[in-house]
Parts: sequence; structure tokens; C-alpha cells
Amino acid sequence: MSNESLIADLSSDLTPVQRRSMLREGGLVLALGAAELMLFLGLGAMRPDMSHMAGSPFLMWRVGSLGLLAAIACVLAIRSFSPTAQPRRGLMLACALTVAAIVGGVFVTPDGASERALLDRINPASGIVCATSIFVLSVPIVALLGALMRKAAPTQPRLSGLASGIAAGACGAFVFAFCCPFNDPLYVVVWYSIGCAAVTAVARWRLPRRFRL
Amino acid sequence: MVAAQNGHGGAYRRLLGEMSEWLTRYFQRRLPPGNVDDAIQETLLAVHRRRHTYDPQYPLGPWLAAIAKNKWVDQLRSLARRPVDELPDDMAVGDHEASVVSSSVLASLLDELRPAQAQAILLVKVQGYSIEDASGQTGLSPSAVKMNIHRGLARLSAIIEKTHDVE
Repeated sequence: MSNESLIADLSSDLTPVQRRSMLREGGLVLALGAAELMLFLGLGAMRPDMSHMAGSPFLMWRVGSLGLLAAIACVLAIRSFSPTAQPRRGLMLACALTVAAIVGGVFVTPDGASERALLDRINPASGIVCATSIFVLSVPIVALLGALMRKAAPTQPRLSGLASGIAAGACGAFVFAFCCPFNDPLYVVVWYSIGCAAVTAVARWRLPRRFRL
Repeated sequence: MVAAQNGHGGAYRRLLGEMSEWLTRYFQRRLPPGNVDDAIQETLLAVHRRRHTYDPQYPLGPWLAAIAKNKWVDQLRSLARRPVDELPDDMAVGDHEASVVSSSVLASLLDELRPAQAQAILLVKVQGYSIEDASGQTGLSPSAVKMNIHRGLARLSAIIEKTHDVE
């Protein structure tokens, strides 16, 4: 087929299209995250001592840094679905923010935590449950971001998949932060990172598959 | 483009015609001649499928260039996957293609590769020599030539993807 006949085919019976809106997409992700949080808390999963712990530096660090990371990562992921976006810079920013949040954890370690044994602090039995919960909570977000990505026009789908995974993992971790009863930054850094890394790996592997502009 | 997004077929036809001319110049500098038409049509189809993603607040040029670059990388990858002994006849031309490529973006990008990779790609994928002929010219075994082509094209794709503007 010649270029001219292809152009004639494409331009005949042209239907109007609804323009992509990043605000609308961001609103969808925000709504899903909020619904997930409400459902999770509505089921009584919030940690019982939340009212007592609400003002503690540790909880503020955990919820604040995860909320900030989730918001920024979602914006970066949605922006990366545009053809002209440069997701690499956004991913560097998300990584830098993650490192800053981890470093911030050093300053909110509760008294006496650093004197406990490493295995006791990490508590693998509970940690695996936490990481799995974060993964499960991230699945709806990563599915939505994947659908938005396929509908948009990311020119670097592997990086967009990676950004979507980081965003979904951060959202899942943010929701789970309201439920997790552990007050040790080391525990949070280790198991939350594992949960987020698992979602990110799945998103990086699955979202760009069979995607063509 | 805004008119096209609103369903104006005539405006869209004119736009695609202008895009087609721009894409011809773009791909002629970046791909072996046998791949240019494929790349143009793939890009036009992508523009059509993704026309709702264009935001009128921004210029159209970078949007089209980003899609064209994506299709350029796709074409390079398909070159790497394509069996080397089934090259179409229109690629197997000697001097003319070499002269086109010598001044192209593709040729300058080949400088980024290891010399053996660049030579294998130039001989087999651009000038249309068979693997055996390329093997005879380079003194490498046929498997080494194939491996150089595969790795070289993969590296080229990665370089293009990482570079914002490739000129």
C-alpha cells in the first residue's frame, strides 16, 4: 500500500476523539487509592494505637514520606505516558526521594530499637506478611496505571512500566502504613522495599509486553 | 491536529500528507532505503491510533518526532530479528545506498559501536551483502558476523532510546 492510499484510508470516516487529560488520569488513580484506603480502614485494619501514635515522629515519617513518594511517583508515571516525556529523569527523582526517605528514617528510630538484635528488629515472619500485603494492595493501582499506559502513547514503555510499578508500590505501601503495627524504621525500610520492589519488577515485566504505539 | 481530533477528515488528510513528507526526510537519514516506507507507514498508523494523546498546548513537532523516534528504534530491532538470508532485493544495491548512508544519521551512529559491529551492520543490513560475503570481507566466522549484527543493532537501539535528540 502506498503512503497516499494509507493517508486516504486513515482520513476517511474520521471520528472525533476525546483528548487525553493527565488531570483526569491522576484523578482516577487518586480515587482508586482513596477507595482502597477507605475500604482497608473500613474493614478495621487500622492499627489500634493510631490515635496514640498519630503525632509520633516515626509515624509521621512513615506516612508522610510514603504519601509524598506515592504522589510524586504517580505524577511521574502518568507524565511518562506522553510521547515527549523523558521518564529517566523522573525515575532518578523518585530514586533520590526514596533514598532521602530511607536516610530520614535514621532520625526517627525509637529509643532502644538499635540495641535489639538484627533478626529481632527485622522479624521475617511478620515482614513477609507486610511485603505480601503491600504487593496485594498495589495490584489494583498497577492495573489501572497499566490500562492508562496502554491507552496513552509512551515512547519508552519499559521505563513507563518501571515508573508505574514504583508508583503502585508506593501507593500500596502508603495504604498499608496505616495498618502496620511495627515501629522500627529498619523493619519498614527492609520489608516495604521488598514489597515495592516485587510490584515494580512485575510492572516492568508485564506492562510493556506486546505494547506497540 | 486539533481539527483532526475533532473529526475533520480534510484537515487530517492534509496534516498526514505534510507529516508523510517530513517522515520521508527523517527516515531517509536514519534507515536503509528498504525500510523507509515501512517506517513511514508504521508512524502514520501510530499517529492515527494515538492522535488523542496530542495536547494542543504544546507544539506538534516534538510529539511527532517522539513517535517517529520510537518507530525508528522498532525498525532497527526488526532489522536485528529479520533473517539475514531473506533480505529483500531492493536493499541489495551497492554504491547508491552506501553513498546515502555515508552522510546519514545512521552512519554517524555506527561510529558509536565497536568497529566489527559497525562493519557487519553496514555490510549486511545496509549494503545487502550475504553473511558469507561479509564473513569473507571481515575475516570473521559467519556466526561472529551474525552476533556482531545482533549485538550492534541492540546497542544502537539502546543508544537512541537514551539520547534525547539524535541528529
